Amino acid sequence: MSYNRESGELDAEILRVISGWHRHGRGLSDAEFEDLAQRIFAYQLRYDEPYARYCGSLGITAGAMPASWHEIPAVPTAAFKEATLATFDPARAALAFETSGTTKGVGGRHYMETRALYDASLLAGFDRFVLADGAELRYFNLVPNPADRPQSSLGYMMGRVCAERGDGDTGWYLRGDDLFVDAFIADARAAVEDGVPVCIAGTAFAFVQLCDELAARDATFAFAPGSRIMETGGFKGRSRIVSRDDLYAALVGRFGIPGERIVAEYSMTELSSQWYDGADRIKHGPPWLRARVTGADGATLPSGVVGALVHVDLANRSSCLAVQTEDLGAAMGDGIVLIGREQGAELRGCSLDAETLRAIR
Amino acid sequence: MSGALASVPVRAIVRGLADAAARWADADFPPRVRVLDAIVARTGYALPVVEYALDRLFEAISEPALTATIAGELGSLDALDGWTARAGRGRARALPVGPVCIVSSRTTIGVAIPAAVYALCAKCDVVVKDREDHLVAAFFASLAQEHDAFAGAASAETWSGSHDARDLSGFAAVVAYGRSDTLAEIRAACAPEARFAGYGARASVGYVTRESLADERAADAIAEGAARDLVLYESEGCLSLHALFVERGGAIAPARFAGLLTRALERAHVEFPPGERGAGASARLGSARALAAFRAASGTGAVYGDAAARHLLVLDPPASEPPLLLPRALNLHVVDGPDDATAYLQRHRIALEAVAASGKRDDVVKMAVDAGAARIAPFGALQSPQMEGNHGGRFRIAEYIRWITEDT
Repeated sequence: MSYNRESGELDAEILRVISGWHRHGRGLSDAEFEDLAQRIFAYQLRYDEPYARYCGSLGITAGAMPASWHEIPAVPTAAFKEATLATFDPARAALAFETSGTTKGVGGRHYMETRALYDASLLAGFDRFVLADGAELRYFNLVPNPADRPQSSLGYMMGRVCAERGDGDTGWYLRGDDLFVDAFIADARAAVEDGVPVCIAGTAFAFVQLCDELAARDATFAFAPGSRIMETGGFKGRSRIVSRDDLYAALVGRFGIPGERIVAEYSMTELSSQWYDGADRIKHGPPWLRARVTGADGATLPSGVVGALVHVDLANRSSCLAVQTEDLGAAMGDGIVLIGREQGAELRGCSLDAETLRAIR
Repeated sequence: MSGALASVPVRAIVRGLADAAARWADADFPPRVRVLDAIVARTGYALPVVEYALDRLFEAISEPALTATIAGELGSLDALDGWTARAGRGRARALPVGPVCIVSSRTTIGVAIPAAVYALCAKCDVVVKDREDHLVAAFFASLAQEHDAFAGAASAETWSGSHDARDLSGFAAVVAYGRSDTLAEIRAACAPEARFAGYGARASVGYVTRESLADERAADAIAEGAARDLVLYESEGCLSLHALFVERGGAIAPARFAGLLTRALERAHVEFPPGERGAGASARLGSARALAAFRAASGTGAVYGDAAARHLLVLDPPASEPPLLLPRALNLHVVDGPDDATAYLQRHRIALEAVAASGKRDDVVKMAVDAGAARIAPFGALQSPQMEGNHGGRFRIAEYIRWITEDT
């Protein structure tokens, strides 16, 4: 079978899974997830050379396949900075998102051969977890505008959401490190006056910055019922970190949006799909996205035990479906509790610690 | 001169300190046994590691070591007891600078004790603000049994952070260990004229020369020492091995040396079992291991570890890679000479505390000097500093002395 035909057939199958859940709420059984994961992995072994070499070094080849999706080798996120992890020529990439270079200031790229999987996955997840009531909202974005920064996966995601689900009056208030607070205030006042419900989307750090600025201007808003907030993890490389409880309390007070309308999203550039908080504050993903929690030896830990998260995202058809992170979490039911990432090694005394080293570089 | 030790002859002070330390060097000494659990709980280190630390700490505090250091820095011990003549100059006397505070929160085991010992030799009253394992307090209790004056001169309090920092203005000298921001906060709380000795962010590295890799036996001995330097205190201290440079061109190739080091690490894990490891450290170790394996699969370097993930050794990572700074994890850089090591240290702006070297070749010594190291040690001894040594490149007792001299 040719590469194009094989890729097309896999994409069609993945899109059917996404559509089945998006439109009809149909999930994936363990056996179905296993089967599709194994076939996508076998395909990636054939076409993603750096990934195949890595798997081969671990004893996993087409002739020695993993017994289950739990054993599919996961590439560390940093590997996206080391090599082109794609099943296709990246010159043909429909999307290329750049990682933030969280740990070393060096970015990597996640190439995708088609927009279809990414778009379908993000919209299905957003519809389910943020727009379950089908609301049409005005979107105020504290994330990069994809027109300015097309390499931002978060910007692209919100761009698609706004285009597909917004009321046409989308606002973008972040450019580089600059937050356009006055523009936000003007647009927010107009939305309040018009009684238009809004969705404010941004990183936690951007929300902290916005709240600080609004506090300095003594500005508060009473957005229309149905308004909501999508907050995504994002203190990376930032010095000021506030607790989630404090941040959410500030958001509730500043925008008049009830706490239950604040949805935390969690994903990363190296994935095509997203996790979202449920009402139980446990993160849930779509059926084609699963996580396993691993210990120091890479083995899957029992439910409730904290370890490193490995994501298996079937929508990552054209890159690597298994991605190893340094994010800590614990499996809980069919979701995960995200603990976050520790800020460097806890070294002692007069020793050099990772955060210090990072700070002086 | 005021202070509880003012009228005690320095030799009696030194003897009391050494005698108390000798009792603490005995693994069965009841006060030592009583603090073990607390130290293990605080640090997360395995019991043999804690025992080793206490052995090294207290064995080093001996009369010969203390007298040699005092004489070396002050000219003689007598200067601490009265006026002493000096060749070609007027008489001089070494007086205590005043009350000394040592802040040793979040340190490896007993870091404050050597500093306290020298401050007491200088006849200063000493307050150590320490963590909750009470090691320092227990040692001070033993000192009081040696000489009543120690009871009034040495005390230990639990450090509660910023709140305590406000109480530092009454000290003539403050010694502190910790992160740069912690040190800055403590320094700001000191009296303007107070002496401040801050022991901040530092690391140690190893350097293996090609000549020392002459044969398997020699290489194995170096590996044995390097393994010990790496695993002790879970690589957390400023004297832990944070990077290792191995020269090309020896009879034993760097890759072979890495294999020997791996075997030595496996033996070291038996003598010094790994301590408690948090999920965060495990996650970062897993990620670092996977990245090294990914690179190795692409033909760059190699990765060594064991199934239980007790250690991680990465051979020949990119020079852009900073030290791993993870428990029992080490990057082994293959180099042509000390210049490569210097470039690496400069690139990552690493302030050195010590260099473990397999040979004292001039260019290796120069590398250590240029990098700001305070000590050069053989492999295996990196984590066992001598009392005579100059931690952080500073004087040991002179920091606590106020000189008075007579004009000729």
